[in-house]
Amino acid sequence: MTFKAFIFGLLVSFGFPWLVAVVIPFSTMNSPEPIEYEEGAAVSGVYIPKRDGRVSEGSKIYGQEGCYQCHTQLIRPTYAGNDVFRDEWAGLRKTADNPDTRRETLATDFEGEEVAYIGQSRVGPDLSNLGRRLAHHLKGTGVSPEDWLFRHLYNPRDPNMVNYRIGTQDIPERSSCPSKRNLFEEVNVYGAGADVLPLQIEDGKGIRANDRARQLVSYLASLKKDTLGQPLPEALNYNPKAPVAE
Amino acid sequence: MAETTSTAESNDVALRASIDRSLRHPVMFFFSSGALWLAVAIVLGLVASAKKHSPEFLTSFSWLDAGKVDGAHMSALIYGWGAQAAFGIIIWLMARLSRKECTSVGTILWAGHVWNATVIVGIICILSGNGSGVPYMEFPSFVWPILILCYFGITIWSLIQFQVRDAGHVYVSQWYLLAGLLWFPWIAVTAFLFVFVFDGNPVMTTAIAAWFKGSLFLLFFLPTALASAYYLAPKVTGRPVYSYNLALFGFWALAFLGPWAGMHKLFGAPIPQFLPNAGAAAMILILIPAIAIGVNILKTIAGHSDIVGESPSLRFTISGIVLFVAYGVLSLLLHTVPTMKITQFSYSGYGMDILGLYGVFSLCAFGAIYFIVPRITRREWLSRRFIRWHFFLSLYGLASIVICAIVGGVTQGQGIEDVSQPFGTMAERASQYGWGVTLAWGFLLFANLFFCLHLLLMWALLGRRSSHPTLLKGHYADSPHGPEGEVDNLGTTSA
Repeated sequence: MTFKAFIFGLLVSFGFPWLVAVVIPFSTMNSPEPIEYEEGAAVSGVYIPKRDGRVSEGSKIYGQEGCYQCHTQLIRPTYAGNDVFRDEWAGLRKTADNPDTRRETLATDFEGEEVAYIGQSRVGPDLSNLGRRLAHHLKGTGVSPEDWLFRHLYNPRDPNMVNYRIGTQDIPERSSCPSKRNLFEEVNVYGAGADVLPLQIEDGKGIRANDRARQLVSYLASLKKDTLGQPLPEALNYNPKAPVAE
Repeated sequence: MAETTSTAESNDVALRASIDRSLRHPVMFFFSSGALWLAVAIVLGLVASAKKHSPEFLTSFSWLDAGKVDGAHMSALIYGWGAQAAFGIIIWLMARLSRKECTSVGTILWAGHVWNATVIVGIICILSGNGSGVPYMEFPSFVWPILILCYFGITIWSLIQFQVRDAGHVYVSQWYLLAGLLWFPWIAVTAFLFVFVFDGNPVMTTAIAAWFKGSLFLLFFLPTALASAYYLAPKVTGRPVYSYNLALFGFWALAFLGPWAGMHKLFGAPIPQFLPNAGAAAMILILIPAIAIGVNILKTIAGHSDIVGESPSLRFTISGIVLFVAYGVLSLLLHTVPTMKITQFSYSGYGMDILGLYGVFSLCAFGAIYFIVPRITRREWLSRRFIRWHFFLSLYGLASIVICAIVGGVTQGQGIEDVSQPFGTMAERASQYGWGVTLAWGFLLFANLFFCLHLLLMWALLGRRSSHPTLLKGHYADSPHGPEGEVDNLGTTSA
C-alpha cells in the first residue's frame, strides 16, 4: 500500500459518509417543503407549527440543566417502539371530554429550539406532551401547570404537592428527579409580591423562582406536541386510528 | 560481521534512548494529568450513577445536580483522561516508529497545558449550568476551537515526523496513528461548525452531535488503542504480526464503517430514515473488524501465554483486545431493529460507551503506559502488587458496570415497551441495577487510586533503578537480565 493510495483510501472511506450522512442531510433538512392542508380540512393554507412560551431560552436551560439525560422528547413511530400507546406520552386518549390527540413526533415540533432534545435514557417519562398532560390533569384543581412545575422543580418529592396522578401512580412518592434548588432563591415574603411559592419554610421567609426557572417552566408548559391545539395536514398525520373503546 | 551488528544495535539503542529522552516531559505530563482526570471522571461517574437511584444524595451541592454531573462525567472521561492518554501514546509511538527525536517539546507542553486548562474551564461551565446544552458536546461553544487548536499544537509534529522519516517499512501501528491523526480534526471541525456555527434544523443538529460521539470513539480512540496493541503484541512477544493481509482488512473495514456510526441514537426520530439505519448497520458490522483485529493480535501472541501473564503491558492490552471483540458481539446484539426498540433509550447505551472507553481504549492505554513510562523515566515500576490490583479491580469494576448497565437497560427498555405496565414500576426495577453501577464505579475508583499513585511516584522519579523490569510473575534468580543490579546507561528493558 503506497502512501498516496492510503490517503486516497482515507479520503474516500471518510469523505463519502461525511457528504451523504452529514453535509447533504444537513442542507436538505434546512429547507423543508411547505405542507398544505388538504381541501375540505377545518384549517386551510400551509401548516405552520405554533408554539407559545419562552421556547428558545427555556430549551437552552433544559439542555444546560441536563434534563435530556433522563427525559426523552420523542414519540417514535410504531415500527420503532410503543411510545404512542404509553400513558399520555403522545397526547390524550379519546374520552368523553376530548378527542384522541395522539401522534408521532415531527421535525417541526422542535421549531424555535437550537437542539432537538431527543434524549439519552428514559429514567423519567417522555416530556413531548408534558404541558398537555399537566393542563389535562390539573383542570379544576385551581393549580396552574406553571405552579405545579415550579414546585416539582423545587422539590419533586414534596409530599404536600397537589396530587398529580397518571393512572394509579402518585408522582411525588416515586420520583427520582433531582431537586433543582439552584433555580430558586430565598426571599422575605413581605414585599416579594405574588411570586413566592406556596411553601412554608420559616417565618417570614419564602421561596421564589429565579429567571432561569421561569424560562424553563414556560418552556416545559409549552410542550404540547399533539394534535389538540393544531390539527395536522393529512400528509403529516401518521396517527394510528384511535382504538374504538378504552 | 558480528561487530557491525553490535555497533548497529548499540546505535539503535542509543537512538531509542534519545527519542525517549526527548519526549519524557510531554509524555509524562499527558499520562499523569490524564490519570488525575480519570480519577475525577470516576468520582463524577459514581455521583452521577448514585443520583439515578438515590436522588437526595449530595442534594445540597446544587452544582452536582443529576443531569449536569452526567455531562461533566463523560466530558472528563473523554477529554480529560481519554484524549490526553491518547496524545501521550500517539506522540511517543509515532516518534519511535518513525525513528525521529521530538524537537518541539516546548510547543507540545504549552498546548497540553492549554488543553488541560480548557477542559477545566469546560467542566466548570457544565457544572455551573453554563454548558452548551448539546448532548455529547456539553462544553460551551468557545471551548471547542481552543481544543482543536491545542490538538494541532500537540500532534502536528507526529505527522511531520512521519513525513520526514527515513524511507522504510510502514508499520501497522502507523496506519492507525496516521489515520486517527487525520480523522480527529475532520470529525471535530465538522461537528463544531455544524452544531455551533451553522444554523440548521434542530433534529439534524442533534444527529450530527450523536455522529460526532460515535465516530470520535471509532475513529480516534479505537485506532489509538489498536496502534498500541499492534505495537506491543509483536514487540513484547518478539514475533511478527500474524497476518499482514488480515491487518489490512481489519483496518479498512474499520475505516469504511466508522464514519457511519452514531446516528442510530435517532432511530425513529424525524430525520431521513436511512441515517439511523446506516448508523445501526455500521454498529452491527463493527463485529467484522473486531474479529479480524482480535484474531490477528491473539494469533500473534498465541503460544506465549506465559509472557501475557508476566508482562503488565501485554496483560492489559490483550484484555482490551478481547473486550473489543466483546464490544463487537454486543454491538451486533443491541442494534438490530427488535433490540433497538428496547435499548435505544435505556442504560445499555451507557454500558456500551463505558465498555468502549474504559474496556477497550483505557485498558490498551494502561498497557501502553506500563510499557512507555519505564522507558522515558528510566526507572522501573515499584510494585507488582499495585499493578495486579489495578488490573483485577479494573476488570471486575468494568464487568460489573457493563453487565448491570446492559442487563438493567434491557429490563428498563422491555418495561417501557410493555404498555400494560405502569412507567413507575419499570423505573424502580431499573434503578436496582443502578446500585450495581454505583458500586462498580467504587471498584474502579480503587483500581485507579493504585494506578494514579503508582504513576505519580514514577513521575517523581521514585521508580526502581534496576535492570529488571517489573514482571507480574518474574523470578529474579532465573531472569534473562542477569542478577539484580543498577540500570545500564542505555535503554531499559521492561516489558
